[in-house]
Amino acid sequence: MVKKPELKTWKDIAVGGFVESGTAEYFHTGGWRSKVPVWQKQNCIQCLTCWAFCPDNSIKVVDGAKGKERAGFDYDFCKGCGICAEECPQNNKITKELKTKDASLKITPSTGSGKPGFDEKAAILFVGLKEAKDKYNIK
Amino acid sequence: MEKTIAARTGNEAMAEAMRQINPDVCAAYPITPATEIMQIFAGFVNDGKVKTNLITVESEHSAMSACVGSAASGARTMTATSSQGLAYMHEILFIAAGIRLPIVLAEVNRNISAPINIHCDHSDTMAERDSGWIQLFSENPQEAYDAMIMAPRIAEHKDVSLPIMVTTDGFIISHGMERIELYPDAEVQKFVGEYKAPYNVLDVDHPITVGSIVLQDYTFEFKKAQHEAMKNAKRVILEVGREFAKTFGKEYGLIEAYKCDDADYITISLGSTAGTTKTAVEELRAEGIKAGLIKIRSFRPFPAEEIAAILSKAKAVAVLDRSESMSNQAGPVATEVKNGLYDAGMKVPLASYIYGLGGREIFIEDIKDVYKELKNIADGKSKPEQAKYIGLKV
Ligand code: SF4
Ligand code: SF4
Repeated sequence: MVKKPELKTWKDIAVGGFVESGTAEYFHTGGWRSKVPVWQKQNCIQCLTCWAFCPDNSIKVVDGAKGKERAGFDYDFCKGCGICAEECPQNNKITKELKTKDASLKITPSTGSGKPGFDEKAAILFVGLKEAKDKYNIK
Repeated sequence: MEKTIAARTGNEAMAEAMRQINPDVCAAYPITPATEIMQIFAGFVNDGKVKTNLITVESEHSAMSACVGSAASGARTMTATSSQGLAYMHEILFIAAGIRLPIVLAEVNRNISAPINIHCDHSDTMAERDSGWIQLFSENPQEAYDAMIMAPRIAEHKDVSLPIMVTTDGFIISHGMERIELYPDAEVQKFVGEYKAPYNVLDVDHPITVGSIVLQDYTFEFKKAQHEAMKNAKRVILEVGREFAKTFGKEYGLIEAYKCDDADYITISLGSTAGTTKTAVEELRAEGIKAGLIKIRSFRPFPAEEIAAILSKAKAVAVLDRSESMSNQAGPVATEVKNGLYDAGMKVPLASYIYGLGGREIFIEDIKDVYKELKNIADGKSKPEQAKYIGLKV
């Protein structure tokens, strides 16, 4: 693993400022977040769709009994884009059910949080910063 | 060395130099009057005379972007453009310079719209003077050919590592045929040497990131390093020029001082007009007027001290600009010259002129009039004017 580089002087930076690979690790994009994904393990079917779609490699994966398993989020880097919630098949399933019941319902897999009937079954909730902190203890 | 005497236009001369250099990659999009350079070069590619990977793209923005990718991957890279094409490359020019890629660009100076005009002035190149590229101007096809051969050596020098544009004047040089001395392929190749890449993003054993976001941490340090590289470029242009003289017999510096040793009146210009001015100088000297010329070859880096040193004995100076900077003061060349004079603590009377926009002819008589005006200024009969238009319909 690369070591976090010290700040250098203009004389010491490489020509054109190229850097060794992997330094994105030290750039915590999590600070950009204005909405927060919350994983509801009990509703997750371990399809790993979210892992494939996350642009910031922020879905943690661990070795489980049946192979790779989705774990929590890496909030150091998750910048809160909502793609995981949008792509999650569990979220899509519940969204579709709710819309079948009420065609006028304005809801998407990432805007469902707080809507009646959604939060109990969704695998990823996508909530505001305050709610994430107060209700789910995510800073 | 066996030189070949030939008749060549500026475009042909530049394409010939490119054939001899045999770059790894060229990415280009056509635009008048630079189209021919790549058209001729494409013929060399087609005929197997070069091993170059020629990438035809959909715009100049893409051409320069492809050049950046290529040069960052350890390939010697060249392109050609003009006018709107150079303007369309604008944002990528800064990137090429910022990440220090020694790309060589054959640039044919042409007016920037509006109004629409395909003819020569320096508004395109001058608009990129802050882009961080080295900018060399040529007086004729020979100088363009020679500069193209020196360009990779200057750009790729480890103390420089900056992109370089070698310019000619649209149609006047690009399409004007002149006598030119061509050098043997082997000699040119020996002089240019192997490409020395500053780094290589395709080196899988040493993975690197180029062009990363650095924000407040490093942008300042980047610019300082670039600033120093451009300072070094002055020295390197002279070094390569001296080496070129040893091999090919013609020495090039940052400027050419023509009959300046005893000159009372000196004009400063660049590109093809310097050639016209040399004739004016000869004619005036025959009339007993001590005229001289400073031709600026390197506009970036700007040879301010060198110019000031030569002007130290002049009674009056005129700077001829072939582009406007709409500063209400003077064109870009005059502004730079004045900067240099201030720093040198000099206060020589200086008149600045705007001429030749959009290919407007400049005649020997026009230039002689400038010298005569300088004499009047030196004699206290008139005051130096700024940004005075020469050859305007009034
Ligand atoms: S919100 Fe975006 S960045 Fe965060 S885990 Fe989901 S997909 Fe990744
Ligand atoms: S959170 Fe959704 S997308 Fe991710 S593994 Fe679970 S069910 Fe699949």
